[in-house]
Amino acid sequence: MTLARNVYKALEDIVGPENISDDPAVLDSYRYSLAHTAIHIGPYYDTFTPRGEAVLLPGSTEEVQAIVKLCNKYKIKFKASSTFWSAQGYPSGENTIQLDMRRMDRILEIDEKNMFAVIEPGVIGATLQAEAMKLGLNTHLPGSGCSCSILAGATSYFGSGPSNLYGGWHYDNLLALEWVMPTGEILRTGSLGAGCGWFCGEGPGPSMKGVARGFLGAKGAMGVFTKCAIKLFAWPGPQTLPVEGTIPAYRVSLPDNFKAYTVAFPSWRAWADAAHMIWDAGIGYLAHRQFNMFGRDLKFAMIKILTDPTKTLGDLEELLEDPEVQKVTQESMRDFQIVLAGMTRRDMAWQEKVLDEILRRTGGWKVEAMNEPEIHDWALLYLIRLGHKNLNLVYAGGYDGCFGFLGAPDYGTTYVEEAAEFKREWEKRGAIVEAGGDCMMGPIGGQGGGGTCLWENFTCFDPHDKDSVEGTLEFFDACTELGLKRGWGVGMEKWNAAARGPDGRTPPKEERDRIHLAAPQPSVFRYQHRVKEALNPNDLGDAYYETLED
Amino acid sequence: MALEDFAAEMDRCSQCSYCKWIPFDQVKSWRFAKNCPSIAYHNFNSYSARGRYAVARSLIKGQSGYSDTVRKIVFTCMTCGSCDVSCKVCRYNLEPLEMARELKFRLVEDGQGLDEHQAIIESLNKEHNTLGRPRAERGAWADDLDVPRLYADKAEVLFHAGCRFSYDRELQGVARTAVRLLKQAGVDVGIMGQREMCCGGRVYSMGYRETFTRFAQANLKAWDRAGVKTVVTSCADGYHAFKRLYPKLGSQVEVLHTVEFIARLIKEGQLTFRTAVPLTVTYHDPCHLGRQGEPYVPWEGVEKKIKNQIVVYEPRRPRYNGAWGVYDPPRDILRSIPGVELVEMERIREYSWCCGAGGGVREAYPEFSRWTAGERIEEARATGAEALVSACPWCERNFKDAVKALGDSLQVYDIVELVQKAM
Ligand code: SF4
Ligand code: SF4
Repeated sequence: MTLARNVYKALEDIVGPENISDDPAVLDSYRYSLAHTAIHIGPYYDTFTPRGEAVLLPGSTEEVQAIVKLCNKYKIKFKASSTFWSAQGYPSGENTIQLDMRRMDRILEIDEKNMFAVIEPGVIGATLQAEAMKLGLNTHLPGSGCSCSILAGATSYFGSGPSNLYGGWHYDNLLALEWVMPTGEILRTGSLGAGCGWFCGEGPGPSMKGVARGFLGAKGAMGVFTKCAIKLFAWPGPQTLPVEGTIPAYRVSLPDNFKAYTVAFPSWRAWADAAHMIWDAGIGYLAHRQFNMFGRDLKFAMIKILTDPTKTLGDLEELLEDPEVQKVTQESMRDFQIVLAGMTRRDMAWQEKVLDEILRRTGGWKVEAMNEPEIHDWALLYLIRLGHKNLNLVYAGGYDGCFGFLGAPDYGTTYVEEAAEFKREWEKRGAIVEAGGDCMMGPIGGQGGGGTCLWENFTCFDPHDKDSVEGTLEFFDACTELGLKRGWGVGMEKWNAAARGPDGRTPPKEERDRIHLAAPQPSVFRYQHRVKEALNPNDLGDAYYETLED
Repeated sequence: MALEDFAAEMDRCSQCSYCKWIPFDQVKSWRFAKNCPSIAYHNFNSYSARGRYAVARSLIKGQSGYSDTVRKIVFTCMTCGSCDVSCKVCRYNLEPLEMARELKFRLVEDGQGLDEHQAIIESLNKEHNTLGRPRAERGAWADDLDVPRLYADKAEVLFHAGCRFSYDRELQGVARTAVRLLKQAGVDVGIMGQREMCCGGRVYSMGYRETFTRFAQANLKAWDRAGVKTVVTSCADGYHAFKRLYPKLGSQVEVLHTVEFIARLIKEGQLTFRTAVPLTVTYHDPCHLGRQGEPYVPWEGVEKKIKNQIVVYEPRRPRYNGAWGVYDPPRDILRSIPGVELVEMERIREYSWCCGAGGGVREAYPEFSRWTAGERIEEARATGAEALVSACPWCERNFKDAVKALGDSLQVYDIVELVQKAM
């Protein structure tokens, strides 16, 4: 179905002819391949999200509002996305127009004193961070990295990432919000709604954060968020990162109030204890089990490649034969990365002491090879800027996380070996990259008061290879089966199964209901159903805003 | 290669959009973080490397057909290669720049080229230059130079002026100075004068592979007849064509850009500067000298997989990601000129912003080309520099025109002009 010409013309009148297109080739560049899937709905060979009826590039809240009102008038669905990292940002069925928010990309204000920024959807982590650093501030970057929209992370998904530890999740960091609701009305939440500025998400004024975000973010399914304020936190470093090195081995040497350690432990129990102790003591700027995404067996060889501009993936096998690489690989089996950033010299000295004491108590150690200056400075830059997230897909262009142990550190560490062994067996079949079974990556602490880990076990495959994709899918089915049998629940490999099916479209209602009824807390979706009935009466979003009728 | 040969890459592009930004580690501000002029100006995803992979797939699968929009998407790519650099911060098995070129080749082969480019091809076929100027006037820039003409004489070193320097009177002093410097250094140098032909590089970047090949072969033949072992040029486009494209056709000629030659003279003490040039300057890395100026490494091989699904190549494939481009020689020259203060822009070296003259964009989309140059001028302005210096006549021309159109007072120089002032 294509848009009726009068509707197209009406949309064109809103954004101008240069900001709308329904050329099939343009529309096809707004379809997401479910064969490589960066997030939890595939993989399905040769399958794409459905083609939108048109793509629009709105330039202001007023334009967004006018588009949404028109959509209500003509009962056309709309899907807004800012940086298009995952399938969630794309249409899920016919009769949908795609809003690409990239023209609305201004940082409207950085309130240095009150430590927040007011941003539009197109502002990405890297640019906000760069501007914040000039003022001695920093932004939390979600795990998808600094290429992604900060507003999207805060309003429309988890917003979790390595700097949770110090910077909080973005659902915490979200302050006031400007929301073009699904009906086209504009709601200004929190302090903004009371005319008091942007500083608070919960009032004075309408406290609507939970309603607007829904469960794990609105995912582009409940209107369009056009501006938000986001909390910033202290940056005790230089105003601009003094980056050196030859691409891609960029690195940064920061003053000695910064340090990036890779720490490892003799047992998973010790690992979990250390994670808890870090939380208890309140040390650390960010912490993440980051480089393990390359796989337990491959990670140090990969780091050798990434820190040497003369090397490529073609050097991997030779590096794996290197006894030094093998030694470090063995030594860092149960590891994570932690960046310490001292607000003062004394603070830094204290944090160093605490970390040493934690390592002493848990029997852990610092992986010395990661302290080599070139590797250290590379890792420090990697973790602070989070600008290499496309390495998730380095091997062949496809990855997805499976399992996804979301809970206190002890939870993930209790099952990590079992899950790794399970994956290792599947790796032998050939469809997925053989990386050592344990490719689990995630923050060591997500929330205050004890730390929540979210560990996705990276599964890498070749999206161009039918056998690889189908084998991966088989593996994912097996993961789900195991997860249910073991009481871990459905893993990340199926997390969005209720929102998008194998054909790239919204699954039938019965399927969605089945999934939601089987969820640990179906009432969440019942609540969202009520919210949707009230705020989205024409049902112009998609099933990413998950609902269940009473 | 054919477009279909990139089918695997089209599927393996991870849709991450890194190709729309300078390498994130290098982002210093909101204002100068973008890298791809094409998507920065047109905004639809289709205008990025990521989008071009998707458009190409849509075309080869027959999901869409040619349209004015598709032509615009394909031919507004400057082939500046900035996407390629950013993509390869993380990826080792994609070649987005090669794919963008291949997409142009396909459209041209299918008769979908632009009229503006066709006019250039006609000029090339008839007059052997891309500027629509008479062939007979090509050598006039060197009338007062006492150097051998290598259609009649022989010399080991050829100075190739290129189309822009040959005909652009405002700029061609650069070529004359370069030849004088070569002579002063005792180099056995000659020129092709009136019989010089276009290198073909610019039409290659517009999608005319066959025309390029014809001109490259003709040049190689002429060089061979004249006993040329080394080609020196002051044109970054020519440098790239000779250094990276000609070897694929069998060329073994050494290729130097004037900046490499001058930097070498300075280093060896053969060139010293006596006159101070009190000027704060910023340096613009031409795409074809910087990130695309890496040495050519011959390779023939196949894809293979290790560890089940990791895509590598047998034998190891050379990696062009801008790591080894020509960045330091021009900076060394500027630093050695007394009085010159070099201040850097935010986007430099391998992640430089394009001048806007590449890929046939200047000729077919002048407004977009000017906007691209204007962005760079603003970036240069932000450094506090009085002058923007480059090492390519196409960059210089585009900047000069944009400065004029903007009514700006920024001075624009080729680096050789500053060398001449300092001598
Ligand atoms: S070559 Fe330049 S203009 Fe073309 S897509 Fe890449 S960055 Fe954009
Ligand atoms: S071309 Fe490269 S950088 Fe661009 S989306 Fe594809 S993988 Fe990412």
